[in-house]
Amino acid sequence: MENNSPLSPHLQIYRWHISSLVSISHRITGIINFVALILICIWTAMLLLGEANYSSIEYFLSSIFGKFIVLGLSWSFSFQILSEIRHLIMDMGYGFELKTTRISGLLVIFGSIFLTIIIFVIGKNLI
Amino acid sequence: MVQLNLPENSKVKTGKYFKDKTGSKNIRKVNVYRWDPSTGENPRIDTYEVDMDNCPSKVLDVLNKIKNEIDPTLAYRRSCAHGVCGSCAMNMGGKNGLACTTPHAEIDGDLDIYPLPHLKVKRDLIGDLDGLYKQYESIEPWLKSNSKSETSEIYQSKEDRAKLDGAYECIMCACCSTSCPSYWWNGDKYLGPAVLLQAYRWIVDSRDEERKARLKKVADELKLYRCHTILNCTNACPKGLNPAKAIAEIKKMLATTNV
Repeated sequence: MENNSPLSPHLQIYRWHISSLVSISHRITGIINFVALILICIWTAMLLLGEANYSSIEYFLSSIFGKFIVLGLSWSFSFQILSEIRHLIMDMGYGFELKTTRISGLLVIFGSIFLTIIIFVIGKNLI
Repeated sequence: MVQLNLPENSKVKTGKYFKDKTGSKNIRKVNVYRWDPSTGENPRIDTYEVDMDNCPSKVLDVLNKIKNEIDPTLAYRRSCAHGVCGSCAMNMGGKNGLACTTPHAEIDGDLDIYPLPHLKVKRDLIGDLDGLYKQYESIEPWLKSNSKSETSEIYQSKEDRAKLDGAYECIMCACCSTSCPSYWWNGDKYLGPAVLLQAYRWIVDSRDEERKARLKKVADELKLYRCHTILNCTNACPKGLNPAKAIAEIKKMLATTNV
């Protein structure tokens, strides 16, 4: 009978809050960045192999999907860096009060969007 | 590998609906997780219409009202009703807490009540905490002193005593440990916030003489370092304690002392 005991619901019912959202996003962006870095290495290696490669990559990156990828990566890198700084500060033992964790979590979320915009603006030579 | 979904025998079905019989105008729907070990059926959610005009303010009052007036078969743990014993820890509105100190007015919409997450259910809202108690035992939560005299007291300065504030108040209700995704996926090895807070409580106790041995014991990738500062624990603690900070302090001690 004991073995028949069900497992109580967990992920299905637990409410999200800022810190758990930032934590899971940190993991996901970490995986994305890992894959992205490999792709960037392949990309730079391809550049060395000749002009034809350069123009096909150029074609891909200027497509709407390509632009979405570039912007998405700018965000995931920004998010990862800010979230990593947050973790670093926590590893030093600071910022564990509930209010502080909420504020620092929000700073990471909005800061990453802000950083993405800055990268976009700089990349476009708008300033 | 982490299993995100519930196993087949744990999938929750829709259960019975208990319509209000009092004719009250102030009705609230309360959805309660039910599982009866004698039937062999899957768990279900029963919905009760509760007359809120004649119900005190806490979630435990709602449960008592259901048990006394609507459905006596409902099972849940409770004892002191004052947030001291930690028996009525459960998941309400998607967050762990003590039913006796959580006001139902703070939860919007229907009142969803589940047992503490990711535990083997014994019946209805009662989860099996044996694993957690075994882990608690494993950190040897008692004073270890080599002093020869057993009749004289061990002095502790006010400053050293103050280090225990925020750790000794823990009532071991398991709200924090069962809110932690790391504990869900690695509960067999990871000690979890409740037990690590207690480990910390004995590590920082100036009267204890086994500090290094205690540190060495928790210095393990799975026992301690599964904490990824998700902070569900600190958010859940009904006593306002901060297990996440205690875990960070243990990590810091391990990084700065030679054990």
